[in-house]
Amino acid sequence: MSLNGKRILIAKPGLDGHDVGAKIIALALRDAGADVIYTGLRRSPDYIARVAVDEDVDAVGLSILSGSHKELVAETVRCLEELDASDIHLFVGGTIPREDQDELREAGARAIFTAEMPLDDVVAAIDADLAS
Amino acid sequence: MNEVSRNPRRALSRALSRIANADVSETLAQQNASTPATLSRIGITGAPGAGKSTLIARLAHLRKGVDRKIAVLAIDPTSPVSQGSILGDRIRMDSIADDPDIFIRSIPSRRAHDGLTDNTADLLNAMEGHGFDEVILESVGVGQAEYTIRTLVDTVVLVLLPESGDAIQAMKAGILEMADIYVVNKADLPGAELLESHIQQVAERQSRNGWTPPVICTTRSDPAGFALLDKAIRDHAHWRATHTDETAVRRARARYQAHGLIARRIDEILEDDDGGLLDLDPRGLFDALHAKLKPDMED
Ligand SMILES: Nc1nc2c(ncn2[C@@H]2O[C@H](COP(=O)(O)OP(=O)(O)OP(=O)(O)O)[C@@H](O)[C@H]2O)c(=O)[nH]1
Ligand SMILES: [Mg+2]
Repeated sequence: MSLNGKRILIAKPGLDGHDVGAKIIALALRDAGADVIYTGLRRSPDYIARVAVDEDVDAVGLSILSGSHKELVAETVRCLEELDASDIHLFVGGTIPREDQDELREAGARAIFTAEMPLDDVVAAIDADLAS
Repeated sequence: MNEVSRNPRRALSRALSRIANADVSETLAQQNASTPATLSRIGITGAPGAGKSTLIARLAHLRKGVDRKIAVLAIDPTSPVSQGSILGDRIRMDSIADDPDIFIRSIPSRRAHDGLTDNTADLLNAMEGHGFDEVILESVGVGQAEYTIRTLVDTVVLVLLPESGDAIQAMKAGILEMADIYVVNKADLPGAELLESHIQQVAERQSRNGWTPPVICTTRSDPAGFALLDKAIRDHAHWRATHTDETAVRRARARYQAHGLIARRIDEILEDDDGGLLDLDPRGLFDALHAKLKPDMED
């Protein structure tokens, strides 16, 4: 398994102020060979999409604990589209209730990761998705 | 997606990836009739954690203008273990991150050991023709980085930290003597004045052709220091305009690029080999490498 040469943006949209999870994922992806950029806390979807474009990332991982995942995912997808960047893969991680997951997938999330998932599985899923 | 994007910013950004990822044969194939270098190039170097990214954010904000757009290429180290990286410079440039007139691109150092990255020369060239007026390059602060960045940029700014006795060591080793401008950063920390006076002496010894590198104290929280730095860069550009041998600069850049391409080509050959080449004696190894040096070109 190797994410060598893949560029991944880990982003924190919305109002929650906890980024321990986001940072752990960032390090795990680095250890799997990826080049990882982190946005910092409380970024707007518009900002995240612009950074994703300037940094030419292969994937954006949104870490959302605030409960506003539906709005934030939809808005990020829209902003990426506007910038002609819909081909950038979108992942969502955080506290996402099971009943919301299908809706997020339909909105454009390639995969959804919750806190219970082992880190290795998350990295492996991202690796498999980006390799496909 | 290989077609050119309708979003010009995305088109540029993708072009940079293509250049950054190109192997030697692709790099050679991509060389087009060399675009004249019109952007001014500023290199910011200095030890890890010296405050380079924080300083670049302040500087870029001062140096952009109504008709002046700035690009920042920020290099961070690649982990030798995983070959991955955390590209952390951007987050220190938070204050300019939302500015549409400033383009920031984070770049892993990859195989390069000189504080830059593979294909740095081509990445800089690729910034030409996209409406930018200036490119600021942040190098990874390693021992010899000052020397290599020297050849690729017009103005080298060396960022130093007060608390380091290292500065004195470095001075003895002569590493300090490559900069056009010295910055004593984090001047809020103890030891800044002492460092400043030491560096002042170095700078005076370096005086030549009418340029004595200025020594500037900066602190994150104080705009006055960054205004002085901005002015020093302008002064240097002004001085440079009449005191630079452009042919020598061009040749030094060509030499750096040739060195880089050949070193990477050797790595490519050795990585493709099962190790047997390295069992040869030095002369046999040299001959074998020489025979394989020219890559198979695609076109
Ligand atoms: N006390 C003080 N700390 C500062 C100042 N400027 C930056 N820092 C801190 O120094 C640390 C490193 O700053 P960066 O701007 O990331 O330094 P850098 O040289 O780009 O670091 P690398 O890219 O990792 O080599 C951060 O924790 C900053 O907050 C300053 O003027 N004073
Ligand atoms: Mg930095």
